[in-house]
Amino acid sequence: MWRSHELKKRYDVVIIGGGAHGLACAYYLAEEHGITDVAILEKSYIGAGGSGRNTAIVRSNYLTPEGVRFYDESVKLYEQLSDDLNFNVMFSQRGHLTLAHTDGGVNTMRRRAEVNQIEGVDSRLIWPDEIKRLCPYLDVSDHPRYPILAALYHPPGGIIRHDAVVWGYAHQADVRGAHIHQNTEVTGIKVKKGKVTGVETTRGRIKTGTVLNATAGWASTITTMVDIKLPLTTIPLQACVTEPLKPFLDVVVVSGSLHVYISQTDRGELVMGASVDPFSSYSMAGSLTFLEGIAGHVLELFPALSNVRILRQWAGICEMPPDYSPIMGFTPVNGFLIDVGWGTYGFKASPIAGKTLAELIATDKTPDLIAPFRLSRFEENDLVGEKGAASVGH
Amino acid sequence: MRTEHDILITPNRLHPKGGEVIDRTTTIRFTFDGVEYTAHPGDTVASALTAAGVQVLSRSFKYHRPRGLLCCSGHCPNCLVQIGDEPNVRACTRPVEAGMEVRAQNVWPSLNRDLLSLTQLGSRFMPVGFYYKTFIRPQKLWPLYEHTLRHIAGLGEVHIDTPLGEFDKQYLHTDVVVAGGGPAGIGAALAAAEAGAQVLLFDENPTLGGHLRFTVPMDSSSPPEASKNLPELLEAVNHQPNITVFTDTSVLGWYQDHWLCAVKGTRLFKIRTKSVIVATGAYEVPLIFDNNDLPGVMLGSAVQRLVHLFGVLPGKQVVIVTANEDGWDVAADLQSLGVNVGAIVEERESNACSSPYRDGLINAGVPVFYRHIIVEALGSNAVRGAKITRIDEHGEISPKTTQSLHCDLIVTSMGWTPATELAYMAGGKSEYNEERAEIIPVSTPPGIYVVGRASGTHALDSQIAEAQQIGTAAAAFVGFGEVDGLTAHSPDISKPRRTSERVCVPGNKKRFVCYCEDVTDEDVQTAIAEGYDSIELLKRYSTISMGPCQGAMCSMNTIHLCAHANSSTIQETGTTTARPPTTPVTLGALAGQNMEPVQTTPIHQWHLDHGADMMVAGFWLRPNHYGDPASEAMGVRERAGLIDVSPLGKLQLTGPGVPELLERIYTNQWKNLPVGRVRYGVMCNDEGVVLNDGVCAHLNDETWYMTTTSTGATPIFEWLQWWLQSGWGEGIHLTDLTDAYSAFNLAGPQSRAVLEKLTDRNLTNKAFPYMRVRSAKVADVPCRLLRIGFTGELSYEVHCPSAYALHIWEALMDAGREFGIAPFGVEAQRILRLEKAHIIVGQDTDAMSDPLSANMAWAVKLDKPDFLGKPSLMRISTEGPKQLLVGFKMVDSDVVPDEGLQIVEPDADGRLTITGWVTSSRFSPTLAEAIGLCWLPPELASQDGAPFTIRIDGNLVEARVHHDAFYDPDGERLRM
Repeated sequence: MWRSHELKKRYDVVIIGGGAHGLACAYYLAEEHGITDVAILEKSYIGAGGSGRNTAIVRSNYLTPEGVRFYDESVKLYEQLSDDLNFNVMFSQRGHLTLAHTDGGVNTMRRRAEVNQIEGVDSRLIWPDEIKRLCPYLDVSDHPRYPILAALYHPPGGIIRHDAVVWGYAHQADVRGAHIHQNTEVTGIKVKKGKVTGVETTRGRIKTGTVLNATAGWASTITTMVDIKLPLTTIPLQACVTEPLKPFLDVVVVSGSLHVYISQTDRGELVMGASVDPFSSYSMAGSLTFLEGIAGHVLELFPALSNVRILRQWAGICEMPPDYSPIMGFTPVNGFLIDVGWGTYGFKASPIAGKTLAELIATDKTPDLIAPFRLSRFEENDLVGEKGAASVGH
Repeated sequence: MRTEHDILITPNRLHPKGGEVIDRTTTIRFTFDGVEYTAHPGDTVASALTAAGVQVLSRSFKYHRPRGLLCCSGHCPNCLVQIGDEPNVRACTRPVEAGMEVRAQNVWPSLNRDLLSLTQLGSRFMPVGFYYKTFIRPQKLWPLYEHTLRHIAGLGEVHIDTPLGEFDKQYLHTDVVVAGGGPAGIGAALAAAEAGAQVLLFDENPTLGGHLRFTVPMDSSSPPEASKNLPELLEAVNHQPNITVFTDTSVLGWYQDHWLCAVKGTRLFKIRTKSVIVATGAYEVPLIFDNNDLPGVMLGSAVQRLVHLFGVLPGKQVVIVTANEDGWDVAADLQSLGVNVGAIVEERESNACSSPYRDGLINAGVPVFYRHIIVEALGSNAVRGAKITRIDEHGEISPKTTQSLHCDLIVTSMGWTPATELAYMAGGKSEYNEERAEIIPVSTPPGIYVVGRASGTHALDSQIAEAQQIGTAAAAFVGFGEVDGLTAHSPDISKPRRTSERVCVPGNKKRFVCYCEDVTDEDVQTAIAEGYDSIELLKRYSTISMGPCQGAMCSMNTIHLCAHANSSTIQETGTTTARPPTTPVTLGALAGQNMEPVQTTPIHQWHLDHGADMMVAGFWLRPNHYGDPASEAMGVRERAGLIDVSPLGKLQLTGPGVPELLERIYTNQWKNLPVGRVRYGVMCNDEGVVLNDGVCAHLNDETWYMTTTSTGATPIFEWLQWWLQSGWGEGIHLTDLTDAYSAFNLAGPQSRAVLEKLTDRNLTNKAFPYMRVRSAKVADVPCRLLRIGFTGELSYEVHCPSAYALHIWEALMDAGREFGIAPFGVEAQRILRLEKAHIIVGQDTDAMSDPLSANMAWAVKLDKPDFLGKPSLMRISTEGPKQLLVGFKMVDSDVVPDEGLQIVEPDADGRLTITGWVTSSRFSPTLAEAIGLCWLPPELASQDGAPFTIRIDGNLVEARVHHDAFYDPDGERLRM
């Protein structure tokens, strides 16, 4: 699928981070811009970070027009990705429900539905009857502590095999000449006169004029190497999975009020996650509090699941910007580019992030689609507020 | 005891003997796939079915191959069954109950004739990861394929009407937790307890004893301690007051700071301990050979469990495949029970075997094949024979020397892998010990110890000696005795190894590495050849160790195969990360009792009695309305109304530093607020985003009384605590009175007249003007009165001790009767406040809204020295807001746009650009027209009367900007 290479002394482009974003960028650099002298440096194995730890939900029903347009392009790329990569990433557009338990929640869902529709994304507000039809196991009665009043229904949303996205991009990037270096950790970045000149790794030095930081949860540690401070908070995000069950849950179900999202994989497991941990940390150990909390909340929604067993829990690391939107593009250091601030919504943007950043690298110009996510927006007070749709809105 | 009848229906049940856990005097009945079977109390579902001769208990995940008992210890997937509405039950550990309805899972149409097993015929086309490489084109057919794949996958079923069970939790505190109650765990627990430590001893089995329950210690070289038999150990535990025993309890995980979690049925234990001794034993490792998954191929320890605990043996003619003394133990065991041991197939040379039973077995005529190994299990649905072969001088198998042995049970005892998940979760490190051929803990963090088989120590005498040492060390660590620095123990290498390095015997049929996911050794080779060559990538691609066994059966073998394929060492290959839970645990047990209480106010029953329609408002239930919100609102405008606002956050702050704190927390000024006054304030976070709003009253010199929004009560209390503890709170006491005090808003032009009937306090406008606070007795109860008005009418907020709340509420309603008072709910209040264009934080503002943009510049004093959010607000003030919150009226005054609708601007092509959104809207009963609040670009918002369009049901509908409040813009009615 991909080969091992000696580390060359020089590459045109060095991508730090062998996750879905970095590998996608390498693929689109080669495929669309003919740039193949590219190294992807991964400190562990490919997909070891957020790409392999997320709950694999893909959707575009965001809150801001900028966000909706961006993620809609991502969904469209995902729809043809199996064909593009000749690798079945098993994108399953099963439909995505975001539940509202309060009238304030209903208003937020309506707001999102309206923004989505105006931007051409299939998304609408539905009521308990239709929710019950789409998801019979949900308790839509008025008994629960937090009754379900309505839901934002997003038919194109769904789940995907996240590792397959990583492997598919890795394979095609490899075929096109990019070098994937696993177990290669970046230890320093050389900057001369405000311009990137090279990268130091545990396997030696590389000369390059272009470095892309695509390291998600560790992005701020890499950016510190060039003395740039990013407005990011590092927070663990946890998830868990149950034993396999015969299929009974077709849609993805999300509840912001109950801090839970849940879907059933093709293998029959329930994959579920919650909001980010309440504390900043780099720990990926996971907590009991998370398991207890998510179990209670899942049973609020699906009381029939009390005998279902949790098989495994895990955690990933997120870096969250204050407006819950990514930070992409140029930095004050010439040649040092960032693809960071991916918080809890990074995986679903992998194809479009890779594609637009490849374009940015090839043309030295910021594509319109990602201009709203530029780093300078914080100085310019031009934030893209996605908290209402991103915080638990997987 | 055993009758002819019993023999007929339970052909595999042996004659009674000591040590059994079943009660043969009683017989109970249960069903499996509709067929009735008998069992004795103490039987597991699997032991009872095995006694009855049932061998196939499940079908495999991918190929639907028949599967039978393998580990008999709850660790492998082979006996997963559905019991009633409970999916994925391990039949080998679940005690059978009378009337149980047990069913096979994931079979079609039935367990014994599963047509999906035909998938095997196509297995050539379904190698590992085949689904990544197939069904790619045409893409539109993928959903169809997926539908089929999905329905073939999955194990047990969840029934939609499964009742929510009863679950609970218990907190435990102790000095030392011992996880695992085998001889090593018991020994360590006794040693720690004797030193004075409090010990909790957990074991997942119904009784303590570990393998001593089903093996007979015969090690002739054992020191005297080793001769302590199980009853003596149990007796010692019973007499040790410092030990508390939890059986049937699995320790699920270690979390930071020695925070453990364990489960016993429906109860979750949460345990804070100072030290943990991991005595969780080892998993017996299966051997990989052709058809190694055939029902009738079992692990040695599984057979011993069945034989000794349940008096069951699923075979008459046994072949034992071994590479250690454990296999000979099994042989001797079976021989002594009169079972025909057909052969012992021993991987080692004869001189390497040191079993004390060897001579006895050979003398009894048991054929022994030294330097032989099994290559294939023969049979289709059950074992009918074993094909074995010689191992040549290079260690390779020689196909020419194969011979077949007749048998109906193949027992493998090839070795062990320590069950050290808890130690690794705690940060322990391991290394591959080539001497022992096991991955063994080499270091553990302070307070974490590993003992017994979990640390690679197999011999009973060594285990007991080690347990004594470890138990003493753990006790010393927690303060009982002297610390000697011992953390992890090295295995006793003076004893022969128990584990073979040979994990896989080549052949030409399917050889399963992973039973959960039907992954064969060829699949592993294929995956590695494709580039998934690290253990983590291999796991994710092949799904090895991701199924119900979580690696217990397959991890060690996979590491061997991976290392071999990569020509690297076991140490270089490494392991995957151990993650909780060690044993799958139900959502119910994790959730416990429902701990999401509903808060109700002291007036709750009154509201219900008076026809209130209740709504969820954060933690609270509140009256939404009492039937007709519009007339409730009109009642307030024209006469008087009473609303229960008890859910408001109520915080009391005392101390000389309070004014300074308020200056920093709120955006406006507080130092200048005289005693007796009330002021409205807005709180922001560092980004200048509105967090909350409310009023704060200056009660006396050093006492202030703050209210927050209902949903903000807890977050703001925590927010203030955060700043108080960060150094802003010297000498300040913060008290949450939210529950202790109840509050009602008496609103309307007649409210003064109503209140005057119940208090001596002078309520005239001069004595008690707008935005003042007064103490007063209302209906003989001391209360705080705040003259504020969210509704826009003359109003008094009455805050009273909650114990008297209903009394005061009823007194106010009685007093108001002659003035036409009526209760009003949240909906009427929303109408009334909207008519005054008062905002609701969280509805009219979102996570991006600052007070300058939210039309509250009057409440922001940027000339204050510092306050939370000031830098951000300074910048917004300089650069100007991007959006403004402003009122609007509809051109067609009957149309009420729903909250959340978008304000748009169409271009020449009809393409819409979003310019804002509607945050609040109602039909105003006072004005008889639709009104609302919305966000708009500043240039539009600043023009009173400017037209804009709202998208309603896809149509563009016109509205106009409206500055000022819709009702009583000058606020005269508040001050009357």
